[in-house]
Amino acid sequence: MKKSMLLTVISLFWSATLFAAGTQYNLRVDGLACPFCAYGIEKKLINTEGVESVMFDLENGLVIVKAKEGVTLTESMLKQLINDAGFTLRSMSEQPL
Amino acid sequence: MKPIQQLLVAVIPLLFMVGTALAHNPVFSPGPHVLFKEGVEIHAGADRSKAGQKEENKLGLELTYGVTGDWSAGIELPYANVEEGSHNSNGIGDLRLFTKYRFWRESTLGVQQSAAVFLNAMLDNGDDKTKPALGSGSTDTLLGFTYGYESLKWYRWTSIRYRRNGENSGGLRRGDKWLVDFALGYRPTMPVYLKPDTVWILELNGERGQRAELNGSVLNSTGANTGGTEWFISPGIFWTQRNFAIKAGIQLPVVSDLNGNQAESDYRAKAEFEWHL
Repeated sequence: MKKSMLLTVISLFWSATLFAAGTQYNLRVDGLACPFCAYGIEKKLINTEGVESVMFDLENGLVIVKAKEGVTLTESMLKQLINDAGFTLRSMSEQPL
Repeated sequence: MKPIQQLLVAVIPLLFMVGTALAHNPVFSPGPHVLFKEGVEIHAGADRSKAGQKEENKLGLELTYGVTGDWSAGIELPYANVEEGSHNSNGIGDLRLFTKYRFWRESTLGVQQSAAVFLNAMLDNGDDKTKPALGSGSTDTLLGFTYGYESLKWYRWTSIRYRRNGENSGGLRRGDKWLVDFALGYRPTMPVYLKPDTVWILELNGERGQRAELNGSVLNSTGANTGGTEWFISPGIFWTQRNFAIKAGIQLPVVSDLNGNQAESDYRAKAEFEWHL
């Protein structure tokens, strides 16, 4: 019994260590009307240190950015990157992964 | 920054020009789109035109660099094959340097409206002594304005351009030209990132050319087979996937009112490939 409890605790700890890392940023971007143009956003963000992935939901104007643990992407930084790609950052939220 | 980007950063601003036929712009006319900051576009295109006995095929390679998110610049190197009756010429055509600045951008959810001005310079490096000539023999400039509305479903663009032609070594100056364009685009299915995306385009392109001048005097009507008006209807397609794009279309004349005895345009066709880096 003690052994199985110990295994459960270790498993929980391990999974928490493995998955509760990094941050997801949900960016509401205005002007996103074509996937070809959205590539500029992907290029700017993916070259940012600590960014692991960039996904798009064009219909809802969403850019979903996953960053590594310990990496913080500030609103001003993201606003500049989105502007350099030719779009406008309207709002953003973040959640831990 | 990668070496190719460093090279472009060094060279292109010196030539002071920046980007034209980019991204979701119409096939035969300019739109306000520019490249993202520090982006590079490699553009390869093939043009074919036929007017009476004259047939022209051109292959063009363009490089464009995004100086900022709203300003781009580039250079086009054309290779031309021109046939006129029994004569045929092949070789490098006139180099084109171009720059575009998007001075206004209004974005809402899934919609972007924007406007840009642009400047092209067509150099006189192409051989104008061959028959038919490969180059114009003069340095020409083109200044334009363009507006675009882009949404997930519909596109519309309009533009106006003025081409100022220079004088060649023989004192001949081809007439200046006004060009006006209206274009409509329709995307039948909602775009999904990384999936192929298709936009159908229909353009109306108008051109009005003035008569040529010789040593500063307008050629009179007796020998002036130059200038006039043409309108084209131009269906086209824009297909993209991530950072690759293919554009193609054909221009068909619907109105032709040319001065003197000139061959009317039969058609013009274009196919282009774009790769964003």
